[in-house]
Amino acid sequence: MKRKVVIGLEIHLQLKTKTKLFCGCSTDYIGATPNTNVCPICLAVPGTLPVINDHAVDLAVKMGLGLHCEIQDGTRFHRKHYFYADLPKAYQITQYEHAIAQGGYLDVIAEGKPKRIRLDHLHLEEDAGKLVHPTADGRLSGAAYSLVDYNRGGMPLSEIVSMPDMNSPAEAIAYVTQIRQLARYLDVSDGEMESGSLRVDVNVSLCNPDGSFGTRVELKNINSLKSIERALEYEIARQNRVLDEGGALVQETRLWDDAAGVTRSMRSKEGARDYRYYVEMDLAPIDAKPDYVERIRASLPEMPWDKRDRFMEQYGLSLEESQQITEQREMADYYEEMVKAGAPAAKAANWARMEVQRILHEEQLDITKFPIPAKELGTLIAKVEKRELSNTQAKDVLAAMFGEKLTLEEAMKKCGASGGRMTGDALAAVIDKVFAAQPEAVETIRKGADKKGAKAKFLQGLVMRETRGSADPAEVAKTIAEKLG
Amino acid sequence: MEFYKMSAREIAEGVKSKRFTAESVARESIERIKTLDKKYNSVVTLCEDEALAAARRIDEAVARGEDPGPLAGVPFAVKDNFCTNGIETTCCSNMLKGWVPQYDATAVKNMKEAGAVLVGKTNMDEFAMGSTTESSIFGPTLNPRDTERVPGGSSGGSAAVVAAGLVPVALGSDTGGSVRQPAAFCGVQGMKPSYGQISRYGIVAYASSLDQVGPIARNVGDLAVMMDVLAKEDPNDSTCDAYERPSFSGALDGASLAGKKVAVLTGYDKNSIDAPLAAAIDRAVEICREAGAEIIEAALPITMEHTVACYYMVALGDASSKLACYDGMRYGHHADGRNLSEMYKKSRMEGFGEEVSKRILVGTCILTRGYYENYFVPATKVRQLISDEFKELFRTADFLICPITPVLAYKRGLSETDPVRMYLGDVFTTIANLAGLPSMSLNLSFTPEGLPANVQILAPRFGDAELLACASVIEKAAGEPAPVETE
Ligand SMILES: [Zn+2]
Repeated sequence: MKRKVVIGLEIHLQLKTKTKLFCGCSTDYIGATPNTNVCPICLAVPGTLPVINDHAVDLAVKMGLGLHCEIQDGTRFHRKHYFYADLPKAYQITQYEHAIAQGGYLDVIAEGKPKRIRLDHLHLEEDAGKLVHPTADGRLSGAAYSLVDYNRGGMPLSEIVSMPDMNSPAEAIAYVTQIRQLARYLDVSDGEMESGSLRVDVNVSLCNPDGSFGTRVELKNINSLKSIERALEYEIARQNRVLDEGGALVQETRLWDDAAGVTRSMRSKEGARDYRYYVEMDLAPIDAKPDYVERIRASLPEMPWDKRDRFMEQYGLSLEESQQITEQREMADYYEEMVKAGAPAAKAANWARMEVQRILHEEQLDITKFPIPAKELGTLIAKVEKRELSNTQAKDVLAAMFGEKLTLEEAMKKCGASGGRMTGDALAAVIDKVFAAQPEAVETIRKGADKKGAKAKFLQGLVMRETRGSADPAEVAKTIAEKLG
Repeated sequence: MEFYKMSAREIAEGVKSKRFTAESVARESIERIKTLDKKYNSVVTLCEDEALAAARRIDEAVARGEDPGPLAGVPFAVKDNFCTNGIETTCCSNMLKGWVPQYDATAVKNMKEAGAVLVGKTNMDEFAMGSTTESSIFGPTLNPRDTERVPGGSSGGSAAVVAAGLVPVALGSDTGGSVRQPAAFCGVQGMKPSYGQISRYGIVAYASSLDQVGPIARNVGDLAVMMDVLAKEDPNDSTCDAYERPSFSGALDGASLAGKKVAVLTGYDKNSIDAPLAAAIDRAVEICREAGAEIIEAALPITMEHTVACYYMVALGDASSKLACYDGMRYGHHADGRNLSEMYKKSRMEGFGEEVSKRILVGTCILTRGYYENYFVPATKVRQLISDEFKELFRTADFLICPITPVLAYKRGLSETDPVRMYLGDVFTTIANLAGLPSMSLNLSFTPEGLPANVQILAPRFGDAELLACASVIEKAAGEPAPVETE
């Protein structure tokens, strides 16, 4: 029996602020010595009080607007109580009853089909510290003691809670990918899953035959897109199997074990703890009046999906091409600048997707660090279009620009491509050089023994290679024939 | 010289005009604490070296021709729940014994910047929970007016230290009357300013939405100068309002009650109030009438019926939350356990005293699902109704006069024999905290046995300057309380 899959996601997005949510500590904690980015406030030293970081509010509102949410004025923070070593106040300050951004949706394309995923809300909260267990695998079990690093404690997070609107792993992946893309477009988060800037908790259940939601299982500890897919596939299969065998599922939280490729039960929801939420009276309600919201709205850039559609229309790109090029805002900007410099839209798209991507991939670079100005690369592509250069030559020029940090002009000179096609005396000189290096072949032809013309083709190839493709093959053949004739 | 009989303003004037030095004032204060406080136990940490060094810095500044501020050379003491840089801050609890903060509470910082000299930390009920200053790990403070009796609480040490003439001014914190009630019991003037008037940064919290720093002095004029120094916006406390404060001491110049409307609280059983306190109310009302005020009567039915229950819901819920950070992990008392959870339990059980444990337990219960909806949520709604009732009252009246406590300072030990009566004693004080209003305990007279009789005056939110002005008119007629005479 095929059951319908129901997936809802909670995404924790670390906001790109300079300081933490409630104090002036630096957020630059990756690689920092443990417990150096801390202060009396984030360590909950008696007498200290939290003070809201306005920039974090700006970023949450930005993200909320990007997700078509309704921004709420005067929302409050709550204290969520639990005792744990990574939580200095013994409560986490989070938004509970009323989140700053309510509702909203995100339109994604999964497996070629458009899909609207509704959101419940987006709220602000602080992160907890990190426990470090001195076992080989870094896990708690077997550790004689644990250390706490509070550098991450108090980092600003926005939690985006979706409705259970996704029905396949592909839709979940498309949703996460697009949330990450949006976060980067809006510059609210770097959205790196590996470094923990974007963390995903997955809720998955299978629909009952009567259409009602089945028992919900929460999956945690997933830190890559690939793991989301694998964890979901595993969990869906597991739930189907349990139900097929007539068993019952329990509402629980399961951990994804990436190495083993399985989910494991962590804790059952039956014993869910009572967090004893309490209004955080040390913080005033968040001011988000309509004029403030409009100011933020006016500052928003073109949304990624708008850019994608526009590129398809304006530059005639395919959906796939447009999606690839607009995935990163900086790449989209790069592309548009190339076109402005005279590169034909389709060719520029090819270069962006193939050559530029290849270099970025090989060099482990980000487009923001790509050293070749878009204008120069655009000009180069335009030259190919005008047949001033061959494709091969242009690629050599690009390699020289990148590898030797040359300008377009310098690289063209270096590759002998500055004068355009190689003809006449220059070409004759190259042919002489090839002849000198291949006396046997020359002799064979001269003796009239090159019956099938194989040697002549061989020499022609060498000349073409020597001229790096800048000579006209017909002219090369003709000149060789003349010289040997 | 007998500096202890001088007001803070007289001391500052004398230091600035070089009639005497700040150091000599500090020395006298320290000497008096060393000798006299054996009797009262109002100071738990004496800061002798720090105080003398600070006093000498003031004298040097005066010598250079600089103005060290409106409280130049004035010795002051603060309740032991104010963080003081480099000086042990214990909240009179085993939980924090030995803990030394690395920063000054904003209120302490402001006092120091105004030239005041910190001489000591004062005794209090553990974590500010209580109204007798008997639950301190340092032992009880005795009321200087009658050492058989309690000084009130929880800022009992701060009120006693002023009443005994050990310092002219002190700071306390007021969550439900913890500055005003001890001020009343010890026969000094104490004030709880409007919520949001003074920064709470650096005060070990009891209940975030109720706590406010309160100045204690022997006269209203000194309270006003302290308010000028303390009431400032603070970027470290988002509940400390950003608005232009008036000159509080300026409000006292030519203060008058002509044309003002003074409401007198009705609707409670007058016979339940000790006679000298009822007489004090009558006397205060009479003074206001003679000063040209119109007297009206006001009943606050919702407030009077619900304030105590509402107060304990809000305060204890918050307290259980704010005291959760004392888990033995990073500071304070730590006990070993076989696992994390046992470590928390043991650390907290050993660290907190009985009253604190009781309140945390009740508070935790109040916030638990089910109780939260049935008790806590209604309490917050009642709180709003109380606020509204006051808003309505202050549409027609400028001030409200009512008792501050139903009883005169009582003998020690009552908190153990009759805790409910003790909690009910909070009925008149907690209203100001729930509604965020400024309120003052003003001494009117002393009984023949020497027990102080005080009244409470309340004003609309942020009407602190007007409140001080009104109090100064009454004080002028009634006379200000002198420090305890020492043989
Ligand atoms: Zn910090």
